[in-house]
Amino acid sequence: MSEPTTDRTEAEASAEPDFLKVSGLHAGYGQARVLQGLDFSVARGEVCAILGPNGAGKTTTLRALSGMVRGRGSVTLNGTELLGRSPEQAARLGVAHVPEGRGTFNDLTVEENLRIGAHLRTGPRWRGRPERAAVAADLERIYDYFPKLRQRSRQAAGSLSGGEQQMLAIGRALMLRPSLLLLDEPSLGLAPLVTRELFEIVRAVNEEERTTVVVVEQNAQLALDIAHRAHVLEAGRLVLSGPAQQIREDGQVAEVYLGVSVRSRKAG
Amino acid sequence: MNTITAALGTDRARRPRAALTVLLAAAAAVGAPFYFAPFQVFQLTMVLLYAVALAGLNLLVGFGGQISLGHGAFFAAGAYTAAVMLDRYDTGHLATLPAAAAGCFLLGLGFGVPALRLRGLYLALVTLSFAVFLPPLLKRLEPVTGGSMGLTVDKLQPPAWSGLAEDQWTYFVVLAVTVVALLLARNLLRSRVGRALLAVRDNESAAEVMGVRLSLHKTLAFAWSAMFAGVAGCLYTWVIGFVSPDSFSFVLSITLLAGLVVGGLASLYGPLLGAAFVMYVPSVSQDVSEAAPGVVFGLLIITVMFVAPTGLAGLPGRVLGAVSRRLPRTTAALDRTPEADSVPETDSVPEADSVPEAEPKSPAGSRPATTLTPADPAVVDAEPVGAPPRTEKE
Repeated sequence: MSEPTTDRTEAEASAEPDFLKVSGLHAGYGQARVLQGLDFSVARGEVCAILGPNGAGKTTTLRALSGMVRGRGSVTLNGTELLGRSPEQAARLGVAHVPEGRGTFNDLTVEENLRIGAHLRTGPRWRGRPERAAVAADLERIYDYFPKLRQRSRQAAGSLSGGEQQMLAIGRALMLRPSLLLLDEPSLGLAPLVTRELFEIVRAVNEEERTTVVVVEQNAQLALDIAHRAHVLEAGRLVLSGPAQQIREDGQVAEVYLGVSVRSRKAG
Repeated sequence: MNTITAALGTDRARRPRAALTVLLAAAAAVGAPFYFAPFQVFQLTMVLLYAVALAGLNLLVGFGGQISLGHGAFFAAGAYTAAVMLDRYDTGHLATLPAAAAGCFLLGLGFGVPALRLRGLYLALVTLSFAVFLPPLLKRLEPVTGGSMGLTVDKLQPPAWSGLAEDQWTYFVVLAVTVVALLLARNLLRSRVGRALLAVRDNESAAEVMGVRLSLHKTLAFAWSAMFAGVAGCLYTWVIGFVSPDSFSFVLSITLLAGLVVGGLASLYGPLLGAAFVMYVPSVSQDVSEAAPGVVFGLLIITVMFVAPTGLAGLPGRVLGAVSRRLPRTTAALDRTPEADSVPETDSVPEADSVPEAEPKSPAGSRPATTLTPADPAVVDAEPVGAPPRTEKE
């Protein structure tokens, strides 16, 4: 897998190319306009990487999708408009956002953190045992993906290592049974091997659950390894889009826009 | 503050010991009114009812992460609800309890609205205003509240079959309500709602993206908390038999908050310790001199905060931790002190442990790690010309 495979191609992409459709998305904070009209689509079951330098608007894009910042334009998920909704409403529609810096609940145990992920599914409309059993089954499923979390299930999340916290944040988001998983810089502050392990798990989740994933990353190499498609953002606009493989192989593109020499890295 | 998780009793191994503790506490609680003099029993009764108010405040401040300097107002509202019902409508004591609880729950729901927009000191200030405006209001509403003269109502009377003295009967009734209230608070925290509340305190925006409705849970925290204060106020009327605006000055609100912090925030038995502090410290120091209570109260708060920043409830854990750190590391049981849980969030140290574990799983493990390190500073900092400054992350 270190030689990452040509299997992530268009052939895999589903029959729903516009599962997530972003058109003319503008967003910002007060006076600072960060996104200047984004257009892209993500097919169902696809992993989409959003790359770019600091300040390009990657995080803002995810925040606009999950309702954490207000946006103009249109974002539809499976035909339903997402813009203008609160984060809680977006979560109800199946959008699970793993925020930058993980956002685990440090005073709660690992298991309690995961149960928060199932918060919506155990709501007032909760009808008792069947759903409870489903949540228990999902907990097991998450523990299978992340065996380290099982070992630490009764430990306070704040006592986990950074890598484990990131796993917990992703696991918690999966407890939502999302149709769209948004990952904001999962590699932030993690050791390279831990990051790689994490990305392999994301790939496994995507393959087994057919969860659509949008991942924002500074680490272009890793993100391109698991992505089907990639978009390069610069100063709030898309400057490049295409199949991940193509972007990976186009060394010049990577050097110009990402400041990374992908080819030399591969040679190493 | 991971005392919460420990205190919520997730650790099954501790059950037998916990059961024994509960049994002993129950025996002491039941035996106390037969052992102590009536005035001391009265004081214990007051400790119990303050504990109810503090348990409610703890839901809001300790577990909800919001501050209220206005809980004296809810306490007063509960007390006056009971007093007015007894005085005007002669409803009997029992009926006043649900009325005070429900009324204060609704009041809390209404006053919880500022909590949605304000936080920290701003919220504290707004809630303080409830406490400040209530006594004058009670004085003005003379036809209902009896004005500054207050209302005198019947205390609880023991039924003939019990064979108990008035103070003993009152104690047992208050004890029963307190136990129910404390259990309710505990179960509330263990429930889905409680989990959501803790999540909101830990990380608001992360809780929100998980589908937790901030507005609902913050307001509910306020309402539950006000309900407990109202129940405590109602008990106060039962015990004292007299309410007046001056009994509920804003000092009461501040005392409640101070008592909670001294007892231990976000701890399950902190409210009981805090209630004892609120009850006994002023009355004991009164024996020294007329002016002493304020001074002693203030000095003790400062002392406790320096010696036990986690409150009295956290003190045993801290002492145990300090002792076990001095002892040679032979006893594994003592190693797991509360302190040991609260490892700071730094990645560097724990990360080192997890790397070797990750190696065999990663197919790339055979490669030298350096080739996989695109996180070198040159890459992270690379900003193409024309990239705007980091505006996206506040």
